[in-house]
Amino acid sequence: MLKFLGRRLLIALPTMLVIATLAFGLLHATPGGPFDTAKRMPPEIQRSIEAKYHLDEPLWRQYLRYLNDLAHGDLGPSFQYRNTSVNELVRAGLPVDAVVGSLALLTAMLVGGFTGTVAALRRNSLWDHVPMFFAVLGISIPVFVTGPLLILVFAVQLHWLPSGDWRGIDIRYLLLPVAALALPYTAYIARMVRGAAIEVFTSPFIRTARAKGLPTRTVVLRHALRPVLMPLVSFLGPAFASVLTGSIIIESVFGLPGIGRYFLTGAINRDYTLVVGITVLYGALIIAFNLLADLCYAWLDPRVRLQS
Amino acid sequence: MNAAILPRPARAAGQWRQSWERLCRHRPALVALALLGFVVLLALLVPLVSPYDYATPDWDELYQPPGGGHLLGTDGLGRDLLVRVMWGCRISLLVGIAASLVSVLIGVLWGATAGYAGGTTDSLMMRIVDILYTVPFIPLVIVLTVLFGRSFLLVFVAIGAVSWLDIARIVRGQTLSLKNREFIEAARALGLSNTTMIVRHVVPNLLGVVILFEAFLSFLGLGVHAPLASLGTLISDGANHMKSHPYLLTIPAVFLTLIVCSFSYLGDGLRDALDPREQR
Amino acid sequence: MRLSKILKCSLCQRRLAGAALALAMTLTAALLAACGGEGQGPDVPVVSSIRVGTGLAADQTLRRALDAMPRTLDPSLLTDVDAQKVTDDLFEGLTALGLDGSMVPGVATSWEVSADGKNWVFHLRPEARWSNGDPVTSADFIYAWRRQVDPKTGTEYAQALAPIVGAMAVATGHAPVSSLGVDAPDPLTVRIALNSPTPYLLFLLADSFMQPLHRATIERWGDDWTRPEHWVSNGPFVVKEVVIGNRITLEKNPLYWDAASVRPNQVIYYPLETLTQVGRFMAGDIQFASIFPNSQFKWLKSQLGDQVVTGPYLGISQMEVNMLGPPFAMSRDLRLALNLALDRTILANKVGEGLQEPAFSVVPPLPGYRPQIPEWASWSDERRHAEARRLYAAAGYSAAHPLRVQLDYPTGEDNRDVFDAITAMWLTNLGAQVEPYNEEFRVLLQNLRLHKAALFQNGWIGDYPDPFTFLQLFQTGFDQNFSAYSDPAYDALLSAAAQEADPARRFRFFEQAERRLNEEGVSIPIMYYTSRHLVKPYVKGWQLNIQDRIVSRYMYLLEHEGG
Repeated sequence: MLKFLGRRLLIALPTMLVIATLAFGLLHATPGGPFDTAKRMPPEIQRSIEAKYHLDEPLWRQYLRYLNDLAHGDLGPSFQYRNTSVNELVRAGLPVDAVVGSLALLTAMLVGGFTGTVAALRRNSLWDHVPMFFAVLGISIPVFVTGPLLILVFAVQLHWLPSGDWRGIDIRYLLLPVAALALPYTAYIARMVRGAAIEVFTSPFIRTARAKGLPTRTVVLRHALRPVLMPLVSFLGPAFASVLTGSIIIESVFGLPGIGRYFLTGAINRDYTLVVGITVLYGALIIAFNLLADLCYAWLDPRVRLQS
Repeated sequence: MNAAILPRPARAAGQWRQSWERLCRHRPALVALALLGFVVLLALLVPLVSPYDYATPDWDELYQPPGGGHLLGTDGLGRDLLVRVMWGCRISLLVGIAASLVSVLIGVLWGATAGYAGGTTDSLMMRIVDILYTVPFIPLVIVLTVLFGRSFLLVFVAIGAVSWLDIARIVRGQTLSLKNREFIEAARALGLSNTTMIVRHVVPNLLGVVILFEAFLSFLGLGVHAPLASLGTLISDGANHMKSHPYLLTIPAVFLTLIVCSFSYLGDGLRDALDPREQR
Repeated sequence: MRLSKILKCSLCQRRLAGAALALAMTLTAALLAACGGEGQGPDVPVVSSIRVGTGLAADQTLRRALDAMPRTLDPSLLTDVDAQKVTDDLFEGLTALGLDGSMVPGVATSWEVSADGKNWVFHLRPEARWSNGDPVTSADFIYAWRRQVDPKTGTEYAQALAPIVGAMAVATGHAPVSSLGVDAPDPLTVRIALNSPTPYLLFLLADSFMQPLHRATIERWGDDWTRPEHWVSNGPFVVKEVVIGNRITLEKNPLYWDAASVRPNQVIYYPLETLTQVGRFMAGDIQFASIFPNSQFKWLKSQLGDQVVTGPYLGISQMEVNMLGPPFAMSRDLRLALNLALDRTILANKVGEGLQEPAFSVVPPLPGYRPQIPEWASWSDERRHAEARRLYAAAGYSAAHPLRVQLDYPTGEDNRDVFDAITAMWLTNLGAQVEPYNEEFRVLLQNLRLHKAALFQNGWIGDYPDPFTFLQLFQTGFDQNFSAYSDPAYDALLSAAAQEADPARRFRFFEQAERRLNEEGVSIPIMYYTSRHLVKPYVKGWQLNIQDRIVSRYMYLLEHEGG
């Protein structure tokens, strides 16, 4: 186990390096620079700004400088928000996404898992068809529709909930964004769980267990859970990473100061450090969650030999 | 040992016919198929038959609600919504299916190879997947647009390049767990299991995601250009009018939902048809 | 056999399933319809129940929206409109913005200008204070202006000071900072030397780039001086907190010399997307929205009535052609054909929902300036279309050989419909096949700098209410002259205007120049912009102005219920 972990962590470093390099290269290859405004500046000033941000150095030197800073945990200064560092922006934005994202995925897992299991157990009944129909709806209606719709109904019409804003851990302000973010994941998980559960329940092994007279609950919890959880786990790994780095649409619809919005404006404004910084963060999270997912695989299905 | 993993014989011709018959018995799948067929038919015929086209504005008929001369109403430029939605269906279906095929192909090949090979190859291949997950999307799209100019083909490439990752992960996961069971028909079981699993899990959901992806790309300047619009574009335009002219949103949303729902139920039917373990 | 099996085993279940599906769909449709129901026509307004009293509200916290998060609050370094809206509340220059948007004395109480219009003297008021108690002196202005043009500071808009003697020489590194044509003979006097008479100087002085700065704070804290804990400014408000991406909170500056007249205790700015602003406004979370979507205008008007406020904005949406190559460089007929074939009234009324004014020439309406509307603007549609077709044919195009060109425009929510309509008009009226192509703004900017686009949109917002800021766009050598139009006669007219001290004669030169532009058809104007706001009925103390700079200090909240 430790050998496995060690190996994976060892691979993680070059992976991060590649991610950082790719992101860096891609950003710099994109046309337009961070200080391009419609009003052209005198070359002297342009030079001065570029010198300040080391944009006048040859690309390889900027790259090495960036890597050096990265190794020290410094993501660099933001190019679009002058006088602010990327670390600060991430520090400010990450908790927002973490709270909203984990609540959303937690909800999605609970609601989706429960709905999907029930649907599989009561196959072809109303418990199956109706939730599954809403699940398909949940996947097909985009977030930039459900978000404003929720605001329209609950905030504007009914005045039950505020229409957005970030006030920390306050359920009134969290309810709508979490609901909007959770919906597609819930739908996806419900369908996935239902499908996997059906496959498992109709397997000869399970039928044998049932024929033996084991109560349904035992069957579900002890034997069926693992094979159902496995595709779930492989989905959730990247899903966690992606909600943590912010759902751009949720953030802009509800006015949440998360990382996703910075990323979008950063790409548009060519804020190199910000975009590369968030990309690197994203990469680290993906690697971490994938590792977690693989560990869960191993735990769930002991037949999977951990590579050594 | 798990009795579910009995060696499975190769698919005989008779088995395919049985699968087809099972599919036919799956009511929702049939309905879905019929619905899809209907939508495809509409999408093909309506633009040919209708007196309106998707681009010409009609200044006297702005924002007409459904009914009357325009069956589904008109948009902000007086263009007939039915024709535009039909064009949208065409584009969305085309892009959805083509891009999904591309990504399924790549994803299955990649994931199966990784899972089956195991060891360093698996590690390397999955690390590449990890890396690709994190490539910042918008700059990539902008670079692609600038480097290759405007190309519809590019939409497939861009979408396919991003969506195959999930499939690869899932396929590899399944491959990993199945591969370690020692029996002769492992490869066959793998193939079957992967196909059913992809059909069941991924394809119905993937198409929806892919179609929405395409709308986002259109917004950024990649993909179909105005005045053509995909369902995704129509929906995002309609969302701007959600309060004032909700039909501009609900109609394309209904069509999109219909298409995605149909693919889902069709996928269910295919699963039941292909995988005889699940008895009805 | 199979059939009976279906009928027997699954009939009930399938029926139920079908019914459930139908029910679900109906419910969903009903939900969607209900939510959008109000939009179908003039209905009971959603926010009709706001009752406004006559006394002042207990809580004088103003909540306003911005279109985007300001990149910085340093007045010299900022480049975006949203940042300037905030610094308008934080700093006061020699002149300041009055309630109606006109220039009123700020830190300066009076001023004189020499006969040739090139030398100004400003007298400062002794009671002006910084928020930390220090007096505001002329040295603060000199420091700020030198900092603005100093290449070492790296400001993005040093050209703001271009009218001042020596400014550009300093900015391009050819002269030391001390050679800037400004000086402070005593702590209460500022002198400015200009290159030429600049009647709009008073407007320039209220811009963020001309605000005074507190030298000691900047020298001590460097880039960090804008943080709330170090903040020092001389305006009606100071920065209390900044939550990036979420809000900027300002609170009243008790040491501002006119603090007694400043009504709000706090102003909170929220950077929000357009649609989000509408939602928040209707939910009552913000009181003053900075924008709303054009396409929602009629509906919002039906719902909110007088809370929807629009007015002219100093800007124009126009298209320009590339004068460096085919197809437009050689063919004036073609340029004019495109101009005439555009049905601007339809664009303004139908596509723009009647919000914007059709534009026939580059300079928007300005007091004292005679609009140069071309003759053909008042022709009947038939006559105009016929003439357009004649010009099109004269340029060598026909049905068999139509014009094929691409129209580049920046990605933006309101743009797509407008350009779809424009290209459709050209197709219908001329047979020209113009293909709309939207690009991300910076990519477009690069293309324009390299003069790669043949036909493109170049929306322009005036820096100050003067024709020069618009006509400059077509001056040879101007950086944003993306059309590369170069006309010695035109340039000569602009130079003559620059040297003219008498405002009326100056305008006549500009009018001539604009006429020339119209004749050449380099610009294809579309519409003049409007500023659009949503304002709660209990918010008072504001007026629309052409630059859409509405400061918070005069605003106050009446007591109210609901909304």
